[in-house]
Amino acid sequence: MWNPHQPLSKSTRYGLAGSSYLLVLLVWSAIAFFELASSNALPAPWEVAQGFMVLASYNEAKESYLLVDATIASVTRIGLATLLVTSIGIPVGILMGSSPKINAVVGPLLDPFRSAPIVSVLPILVIWMGIDEALKVAFLVLGSVVYLVPMTRDAIVAVPREAYISLKDLGATDLEAIRHGVLPMAMPRIWDAVTVAVSIMWTYITVAEYVNADSGLGQLITHAKRFSAMDQVFAGILVIILLALITNISLVAAKRALFPWETE
Amino acid sequence: MAYGIQLQGITQCYPDPSGEGEITIIEGLDLCIAEPNITMLLGPSGSGKSTILKMMGGVRPYGVVTPSGGTVSINGELCTGEHPDAVMVFQHYWNRPDLTIAQNVALPFRLGLWKGRVSENEQKERVTWAMKMCGLEHRADNRPAQLSGGQNQRVAIARALALKPKILLMDEPFGALDAQTRKEMQALLIQLRAETGCHVVFVTHDVEEALLVGDRIVVLSTHRPSDIALDFNLIDPKPRDDLWLRSTRIGKIETEVFRALSGEGSPKDLRELGVEVNR
Repeated sequence: MWNPHQPLSKSTRYGLAGSSYLLVLLVWSAIAFFELASSNALPAPWEVAQGFMVLASYNEAKESYLLVDATIASVTRIGLATLLVTSIGIPVGILMGSSPKINAVVGPLLDPFRSAPIVSVLPILVIWMGIDEALKVAFLVLGSVVYLVPMTRDAIVAVPREAYISLKDLGATDLEAIRHGVLPMAMPRIWDAVTVAVSIMWTYITVAEYVNADSGLGQLITHAKRFSAMDQVFAGILVIILLALITNISLVAAKRALFPWETE
Repeated sequence: MAYGIQLQGITQCYPDPSGEGEITIIEGLDLCIAEPNITMLLGPSGSGKSTILKMMGGVRPYGVVTPSGGTVSINGELCTGEHPDAVMVFQHYWNRPDLTIAQNVALPFRLGLWKGRVSENEQKERVTWAMKMCGLEHRADNRPAQLSGGQNQRVAIARALALKPKILLMDEPFGALDAQTRKEMQALLIQLRAETGCHVVFVTHDVEEALLVGDRIVVLSTHRPSDIALDFNLIDPKPRDDLWLRSTRIGKIETEVFRALSGEGSPKDLRELGVEVNR
C-alpha cells in the first residue's frame, strides 16, 4: 500500500479511478435524493444531465446548437492562445535557462507574476485592448505565460551539467552545446510546461469569456447563471473539465510518441 | 621538440567551501608528457588529478579560472581553452538518449568545428571504424537506454575516437563500471592506444588499475598543496594479468606507490625493482 514505486496494472488503475467517480456520483445523488441541499445550490445529477441535453440539442430561438458553437469558440481561443504563448514563452524560457545573466535580468520581472492575481489585471487589459476577441486571447496568454516561461527555464536548468560539458569538450561553441546537448534533453519537460500552460488556460476560459460575453463555454455558463439555470451551469462546467481532460490526455500521449526515449 | 603536453609551474586555487578565502590544491607543479603512451595520474580524492586533466582539455566546468597560475602547452602552443587535439572521456559518460548509437558517435560532426574539418564521406568512415574498434558495430540502431553501462562508456570512447584525437584525456572513465566490465574496458583501451598511437592521460585513484594499464605512472601526494610524489615508467609488456599483479616484484612496487601516496615513498627503492624513475 505505502510504496510510491508500486506498479499498478491497467485494470486496477482504471477500476480504482472508475470507482472514485462512481463514489462521487453516489454521494451527489444521495444529497439530491434526500434533499440535503436545495436544487438551486446543487442540482441533482439527472437534472444536470437534462441541462446538458438542453444545451446540446438544437436551439430553435437562436437557430443553432449552443453547446457545439460554444465549444468551437472556446477551443479556437485556447488554440490561438497556445500558439501565441508557446511562440513567445518557450524562446524566452530557453534564453533565460541558457544564460544566468538573462535570467537575472528577466527573472525578477517575471517570477513575481506567478503569484500575482492575474484576474485583477483584467480591467486594465480591457482599457488597453478593448473588449473584443483580442482581449480574450491576450488574457489567456498572460495567464499562462507566467507559468510557461519559468517552467521552460527550469527545464533547461535541470538538464545534467554533463550534457553541456561533454558537448563543449567535443569542440562545441556555447550555443552549439545548448542546441545539441541541453535543448534535446530539456524537450520532454518543456512539453510538460506546455501541458500545464494549456491546463491553466482552461481554468481561465470562463473569466476570459465573462467580459462582453458573446460566445464560448464561459458565455454559456454566465448566461445560464443569469437565468438561475443551475443545471446548465453545472453541465457547462463539466464540459470544460471534460475538454481540459481530453486536451491533457492528448498532450501526454503526444509526449510519449514524440519522446519515446524518455520512458524507455 | 616532440609532440606533447607540457605543464609548467601549475598552481590551482579554489574558493574555500566555507566561503572565506581560498584553498590551494596544487602549487608549482611541472609535468611533461612527450612519449605517446598511457600516462596514469594516480592520486587520492582531492589531490587535484581531475583538475590537472581538465586543464589539459581546457575544460572549466566550475566557473573557476584554471590554472590559477602557470601554463599548459600542447605541442608548444599555449593552451587557454579547449584544444581540438585533446578530447575528454568522463566517468559519468553522457550519451544523448534520443539518438541512436551511430548518431551518438557521429554527434561531434554536427558541430561547426568538425563539420568543416572532416568531409562527409570521411565522417561516415570514421564512425563505422570507431564503432567497430569499440565492438559496437551491431548496436548502431539501438538507443543508449538499451545498452549496459559498460557499452554506454564504449559509445563515449567511440565518439572520442571518431575525432582521431592526438590526446585522449580520461577522467576515471571506468570508475562506475562493475569489475568484469572494467577489465574488458581496460583491455580495450590498451588495444585502442596501440592501434591509434595517441597520447592517453588517464586519471584514477585505483593503484591496481594504474599498474595494469599504465606505461607511465605519476603519483600525486595526499598532502595539500599536492605535488608529484613519484613518477616512473613501467615497461612490462601488456596485457598484464592478475598473476603479474600478484608477483612479489609488483607487490613491492605497489607498496612503494602506497607509501608515495601518503608522502613517504622514495624513488631509490623503486630503481632497485627494475623501474625507470623519472622523478
